[in-house]
Amino acid sequence: MRRVNRQALFGAALLGFFVILAIIAPLIAPYNPDEIVESQTLAPSLSHLFGTDDLGRDLFSRALHGARISLTVGFVAVLISVLIGTLFGAVSGYYGGFLDSVIMRFVDVMLAFPSIFLILAIQSMLTPNIYNVMAVIGLTSWMGVARLVRGEFLRIRELQYVEAARAIGCSDPRIIFRHILPNAQSPIIVAATLGMAGAILTESALSFLGLGVQPPMASWGNMLMDSQAYLFDAPWMSIIPGLLILLTVLSLYFVGEGLREKLNVRG
Amino acid sequence: MRKYLFRRLLQLVPLLIGISLISFFVMHLAPGDPTALFIDPNVKPEELARVRANWGLDQPIYVQYFLWLKNACLLDFGRSYTTGQPVINEIGQRLPVTLLLMAPSFLLTLLITIPLGVISAVRKGSWFDNAVTFLSFAGMAIPTFWLGLMLMLLFSVKLHWFPAVGNIILPLITMTIGSLAGLTRYQRASMLEVLNQDFIRTARAKGLPERVVIFKHALRNALIPTVTILGLTLPDLFGGAFIIETIFAWPGMGRLGVQSIFQRDYPIIMGIVMISALLIIIGNLLADIGYALVDPRIRYEKSK
Amino acid sequence: MECRKFSSLLICSLLFSATVLAAGVDSEGVLRFSLGGEVSVLNPILSTDSVSSAVEGSIFSGLVTVNEKLEMAPDLAERWDVSRDGKVWTFHLRKNVKWHDGAPFTADDVKFTFDSILNPKVNSVRRSDFIIDGLPIKFRIVGKYTLQAILPKPFAPFLVNAGIGIIPKHLLAGKDINTADFNRQPVGTGPFIFKEWRAGDHVTVERNPDYYLGKPLLSKIVYKEIPDANSRLVALEADEIDETDIPPKDYTRMKSVKGVNIYEYDVLLYTYLGFNLANPKFADRRVRQALAYATDKKQLVNLIYRGLASPAFAPSAPVSWAYSDAVPKFDYDPEKARQLLKEAGKEDLEFTILINQGNKEREKAAVILQQQYKKIGVKVNIRVLEWSALLKIVNAPKAPKEFEAVIMGWSLGLDPDAYSIWHSSQYPRGFNFINYNNPKVDKLLERGRETIGRSERKKIYAKLWQAIAADQPYIFLWYPKAVVGIRDRVGGLSKPGPAGMFLRLEKVFIKK
Repeated sequence: MRRVNRQALFGAALLGFFVILAIIAPLIAPYNPDEIVESQTLAPSLSHLFGTDDLGRDLFSRALHGARISLTVGFVAVLISVLIGTLFGAVSGYYGGFLDSVIMRFVDVMLAFPSIFLILAIQSMLTPNIYNVMAVIGLTSWMGVARLVRGEFLRIRELQYVEAARAIGCSDPRIIFRHILPNAQSPIIVAATLGMAGAILTESALSFLGLGVQPPMASWGNMLMDSQAYLFDAPWMSIIPGLLILLTVLSLYFVGEGLREKLNVRG
Repeated sequence: MRKYLFRRLLQLVPLLIGISLISFFVMHLAPGDPTALFIDPNVKPEELARVRANWGLDQPIYVQYFLWLKNACLLDFGRSYTTGQPVINEIGQRLPVTLLLMAPSFLLTLLITIPLGVISAVRKGSWFDNAVTFLSFAGMAIPTFWLGLMLMLLFSVKLHWFPAVGNIILPLITMTIGSLAGLTRYQRASMLEVLNQDFIRTARAKGLPERVVIFKHALRNALIPTVTILGLTLPDLFGGAFIIETIFAWPGMGRLGVQSIFQRDYPIIMGIVMISALLIIIGNLLADIGYALVDPRIRYEKSK
Repeated sequence: MECRKFSSLLICSLLFSATVLAAGVDSEGVLRFSLGGEVSVLNPILSTDSVSSAVEGSIFSGLVTVNEKLEMAPDLAERWDVSRDGKVWTFHLRKNVKWHDGAPFTADDVKFTFDSILNPKVNSVRRSDFIIDGLPIKFRIVGKYTLQAILPKPFAPFLVNAGIGIIPKHLLAGKDINTADFNRQPVGTGPFIFKEWRAGDHVTVERNPDYYLGKPLLSKIVYKEIPDANSRLVALEADEIDETDIPPKDYTRMKSVKGVNIYEYDVLLYTYLGFNLANPKFADRRVRQALAYATDKKQLVNLIYRGLASPAFAPSAPVSWAYSDAVPKFDYDPEKARQLLKEAGKEDLEFTILINQGNKEREKAAVILQQQYKKIGVKVNIRVLEWSALLKIVNAPKAPKEFEAVIMGWSLGLDPDAYSIWHSSQYPRGFNFINYNNPKVDKLLERGRETIGRSERKKIYAKLWQAIAADQPYIFLWYPKAVVGIRDRVGGLSKPGPAGMFLRLEKVFIKK
């Protein structure tokens, strides 16, 4: 088996494992994630696999529930960015001309922002909750997809079958969505996979700075926010959530690379 | 070339105006309020309203924006709400401190990433290549702030090698690892591409020693994309600075930025957005120019 | 417990005076303070953060200052007297005081300072301290060293407010105070002269040999900005700084560190759970009392502060001279809580507590209260809001306000006046955002701020706290303690108390 395939398989398996754990979290979590069940900052043990946090909550249960939040945020954020990016890219590439230049200049503007700073600034002024986090990440990360889709459209719209569709009088939306888009989906899927990795990283950074998902709701990022103060006393509070983020993002990268090879997308 | 440069510089203007427009409106339309930090049972709400009015925040937003834009054209970005000092001075004090961290990190990244990427490509499929590939993926997947925490845990708490803050080594390592991973993958890919090209095969067929083939012919061509991408990594470096400086209490522009966000110091936030955007755009421009210089085949008059 | 603490304190201070006599003073000694944030502006009428105030304390001085007993004591004013009707305060200033640049200090500077605060163009949030019921206090120069403050009506808290740092007229007159370079290179009359400020790093001040209360024993003070709490602890242990606050979780560990003394003392703060009384859920006093019975304050204090805080029962603080313990306490009793809820017909109570983002203690308190109230069948939801969004809700100038309950804290001034928090006129505009309305309380508040004598006021406030506590418009949660670690080479400290341990900076020294 080739290396890329091995990695992709490993990534898919790990990712699947995390997703399943996230889905059945309420069934398998030994404790209520918000409940104070033990004394504070206990080291990992058999009764508390990941130890307890600074309030005496079970970190294993919080990590399981945190998986739901972190994965959902990553998924929805990337969905938003792919939707926006595809729409802009498709319109830009299909119609070209003035519309194209306007959209592409807008993309240039958005790309010139120091994006994490933009996200921090917007997020700090909104009520911090999970929906805003998803929206803000989605709204600031669609530019790559837009450029990609535009490129695909520029290529595909010149192909003969599109000419044919136009000749028989298909409407523009129909051509865009039924004829061109399906043929441009491979690079979008690859970009979405890698984008989800990025979104999860961004969520964790936001939550770490206290601007993301808010406690008492657990996400891997805000579990880390609590941990910095306890770096000396309870290092497991920082090590475990960080490792979970690392592994999830890594597996997404592996899956993305695998898809890239398999779907023959240029990198 | 000169004509191209001139046009690119001209494009800067609408780009910067667009950036300022978006950030200004997003910031001022959000519910936040810079005087919120003054709350105290002895401070009456009408005092807060008065201070807001002194800052001009009671005017319609488009008036505020045009005022800002007018002054910004004269390089006056206003004064910080918290310190009363000109934004230019505040940032001027911090930017060199950030560059003190970014420049060595940039150099280190180059020094490490090029040999790693090249060797990895030359020995494609070897254990070395596998290790480099895996590590660079891991490097991309690691949350920067967590890497910073882990380094602190290891080197400050456990080993007592460096102080947790106020020392350049840990933030430097964190920042370098953060940018290393992606670039290494890029360098490897471009080297691989070059190695597969005809002129390399020809050179090999001519019986040139492998070392000459790789260093004289392949490497030169494989560096072109790296030069380009370097300019494009600037936004990431800046992004990293915001978080890394905050964790390691490095008194640069990044920490000032995060702090001003928490304090809602609008003039400072705007100033930092504009300066970073300008640096990012210039980075892109330099990358394009560098590209043109290294590779005379590229002609800009036609493109775009 | 209380007793033991007291005696250990006594022994401690006895030991102290002994060491002071034995150890010599290092005349080149440098004190290294730590600051938990960045200094923003060095001008007492502009700064709003405790970090900047800490540095200003060494550079500037006010008319009056606070002493170890939390009384107002002479500083730039040698003495003062109050007219019989309580409206005219005359301050007799110290002569021969010089600004750090050598210029003489006179009543002109004092008038200039207060006039600047009252100037609407100056971004000083202290302005409302000098406006009573909409009318500004007037300042009049009577002689070169005599100044009168003419109040529209008697106002006891005025003396505390008059302690704000005085700024020099000769350097600031005619300038825009908000943006003056002075704010980065301050000139004061205090024991130390400003030397250097490296943004984001440190501020250095050095001895003022002409200080009117005596030449300071320290040659310099360096204020180091170290935002991260762990790093401050490491720096204290490594002898890189002389002083820092100690988080509760590190208390035990730091106690065993050689060369560091740990002090704990009460501060003028309390944290509370406030109810919106305009909401029918909380209109009935029995509901609030039931929740008070269901609140296990001991658990809160133990889980959040590891015991380094004390349960609160009244809107004052034990260290305040106006504190009174004679208030209804509602000791933890879930059974009684359930019964009261039943009587009020609110057994299925469910409400939302608002907290502000980034405040760990309040966040923990909300989670703990959620569980404590669950035990009596009350469901609590927690909503985290960004600070200014939260303020927008509670400070909205309209009634009713859109919240049910909120966890917040008040930092108390040296004067016990609490008019702005509890008086019914302060709703919906003002800080009585919970719509507390009790005519008896209103009367006591008015009398309290118009009475000047301390013993008289003490009685008024005792009644006030009792009346408020009986209503439980807030559930008073805890009084935090300040815990500081100071390296043992530092001498000349004042007695630990809410005003800190460096009250007389000119007397602080480094042992040889």
